[in-house]
Amino acid sequence: MRRELFALSVLFLLLVVFPLSLFGYQAWRTHAAGVRVIELTASAPDKGDWQPKDLRVQVSEKVRLRIKATDVIHGFVAPGLGLAVDEIAPGHVAEIEFVATQPGRYVFACSRWCSVDHWRMRGVIEVIDPTNPAPVPMSPSTPPLYQQLNIDLDAPHLAAAIPTTRPSAARGDALDIALPSDLHNASSLRRLAPADVFQRLRADPTYGALSDAELWDMVALAWLRVTLDGSLQRGRQLYGRDCAACHGQMGKGDGPAGRNLPGLAAMQAGAKSGPADFTDAGRMLGASDVLLQGKILRGGMGSGMPEWGSLYGETDMQDVIAYIRSFLFDLGPVN
Amino acid sequence: MTTPRFDLTGIPIVKKVLVSRWLQWSLTAITLPFFVLAILAGLFGTPAGNRNFGIVFVWIVWWAVLILLLVPFAGRLWCTMCPLPAPGEWLQRRALVQPRSAARLYTLGLKWPRRLRGIWLQNASFLLVALFSAVILTTPAVSALVLLLFVLIAVGTSLIFERRTFCRYLCPVGGFIGLYAQVAPVEIRVKNYDICVAHKEKTCYVGSNAGYGCPWLVFPAALDKNTYCGMCTECLKTCPMDNIGLFARPFAADLMAPKGRLDEAYKAFIMLTCAFIYSLVLLGPWASLKEAAYAVGSASWWLYAVGFLTANLIVTPGLFWLCTAAARRLGRAGQAARQAFIEHSYALIPLGLAAWAAFSLGFVFINLSYAWQVMSDPFGWGWNLFGSANWAWTPYLSGLVPLLQAIILLLGLAGAVSVVLHTARVHGVAYASTAPIIGFCAACTLVMMWLYM
Repeated sequence: MRRELFALSVLFLLLVVFPLSLFGYQAWRTHAAGVRVIELTASAPDKGDWQPKDLRVQVSEKVRLRIKATDVIHGFVAPGLGLAVDEIAPGHVAEIEFVATQPGRYVFACSRWCSVDHWRMRGVIEVIDPTNPAPVPMSPSTPPLYQQLNIDLDAPHLAAAIPTTRPSAARGDALDIALPSDLHNASSLRRLAPADVFQRLRADPTYGALSDAELWDMVALAWLRVTLDGSLQRGRQLYGRDCAACHGQMGKGDGPAGRNLPGLAAMQAGAKSGPADFTDAGRMLGASDVLLQGKILRGGMGSGMPEWGSLYGETDMQDVIAYIRSFLFDLGPVN
Repeated sequence: MTTPRFDLTGIPIVKKVLVSRWLQWSLTAITLPFFVLAILAGLFGTPAGNRNFGIVFVWIVWWAVLILLLVPFAGRLWCTMCPLPAPGEWLQRRALVQPRSAARLYTLGLKWPRRLRGIWLQNASFLLVALFSAVILTTPAVSALVLLLFVLIAVGTSLIFERRTFCRYLCPVGGFIGLYAQVAPVEIRVKNYDICVAHKEKTCYVGSNAGYGCPWLVFPAALDKNTYCGMCTECLKTCPMDNIGLFARPFAADLMAPKGRLDEAYKAFIMLTCAFIYSLVLLGPWASLKEAAYAVGSASWWLYAVGFLTANLIVTPGLFWLCTAAARRLGRAGQAARQAFIEHSYALIPLGLAAWAAFSLGFVFINLSYAWQVMSDPFGWGWNLFGSANWAWTPYLSGLVPLLQAIILLLGLAGAVSVVLHTARVHGVAYASTAPIIGFCAACTLVMMWLYM
């Protein structure tokens, strides 16, 4: 009988105490962390998406996100909170801590091309001020510039003139001719399409001696002058992370994820247009930076392009647009 | 000719261990926590198979130990420590270690229907599992549920039927372990047949105060192969004449004895075919085949399923039938066609075991390093118990594996040829007449080599 009791006790340890200790250890880990631990699971959108998709934290609360990937490699980015995890492999757990200082609704997203629906893999971290727990609206108080200027993002914007060779800012600079003073102003220049700038310079007798190619070099120079240091490099990183899968590494609109876009079929049956070709001079040189910013911010265009307004800040937008311009303009080396 | 053998129970310490009532319980107590952890990790851990203890330890570590070590060298030793039937058996006995008389067992004690005896159901259950294996082997939750289902069936069977009916007639794993255990160089057998005959009580079968009657429904004196002996050692405990021992013997000794059951022959066909199909699907470069095997319920999966079952139940046996028919014609043997077909199929046992070992080598060493990761983080919850959770995946012996596979496959072929020639000698037919059968075995070996090289 004593032998049976001993055997039974061991069995009790194995079948009851052992499993309980496993779950107890996990609970202890969470409790002993000394911070609020939030478990976040990342799966491709058709296999579960972010779980949960909506997180609620408080201002000044120390939070640890414990992010698990279940199926393929995912990334995590919440630009508004300055959070990023570049890679979360399936079965691995990434942890990131933060303290939100401002109430608001901060979008987080997957930053790895995880599936065809990758772009829809978004969630929201709502930061609540405990002294004023009313939800903070998502949309900013001031409308974006394209709306203020009443720009129709979906209207055709073909350039009246296009260059025959790739415009070079360096060649423009070598001409040693000053640009009109207002074109040195970034906010002025970004409201103009490059083709409009070309037409304006063409009409200006100051530049009458220049050939069309030289004028286009001046246009490229104008864009280089308003491009901040490091902007092209940052833009390239963002482009590689968020745009290249559809628009292609070289901006030709031939990225593998851009084929058979689910949104394209749903919104525009029979449409032939896929992701925009950033090397298409006719379209790109007829678009101002403000117009391009509006498209990036809003998304749509009947191509299934996601909106980036909730993820990108003003600088991010300008960086990406500067890099997109570099597909047509030689703005110098991008390292 | 008598097979040479060495009585390991002649070694006092071995004897002491084998007759101890703690033996089976202790072995099960070692495997049980791994099993519990595999189930829990499967149900609650990460769905990423390579980071889940349930998948890595069951389908890589356990499988490697089983097919590369336990079965070829120790026969059915795994069945002694298998945790699947243990809860049912403990419940049936209402005891973990101590013996209990048959009258006090917690079971209806029904006998398994005569029509269902044999290993046909084990063939079917294995085919069923194998058909869904692409999903079972890679999806932790499914894997855990399948293991739990086995436990439930084993418990239910123990409560209704006598002894280890589940192990003997239903377990899909036990079926092929039994088949290939015939190759192992160990056996539990009676020492002197005449002593058994004279022993009227037959305590080895009905049980005694020292232990239970054979849980595997085997009368040890009639045991002539390892297939149905679960090596639980109850008979060593209950034999008052000290007439049962654990013997070391030459490899594949059982295959040199008279044989002939169609269900076992089919088990050999199924196992050989499955080793081939697994190699194609799980290790091969054909993505569409892999996708079809995974997409359970889709049109491509149904096509795969039909192909899988046809290959197992018709193509391989059919080709082998043609080969044995040709061999009969060449040898002008008087043996019935059906009997020749069945008897020669036993040559596929060493061949099939070698094929499974070679197939297993193909993924075990490549994936073994995942074991260090899941030991530290069995659930994929971000633990790092032993500091190995983030060790990089490292394939081991990748340059050596093809050579080992080739050696093993050739050893399997040598074993198969040996069995074929032995069968020919027994029936007094010319060795040359067995050329079609040997050709079949050689072709199988070459195809497997082509797949791995």
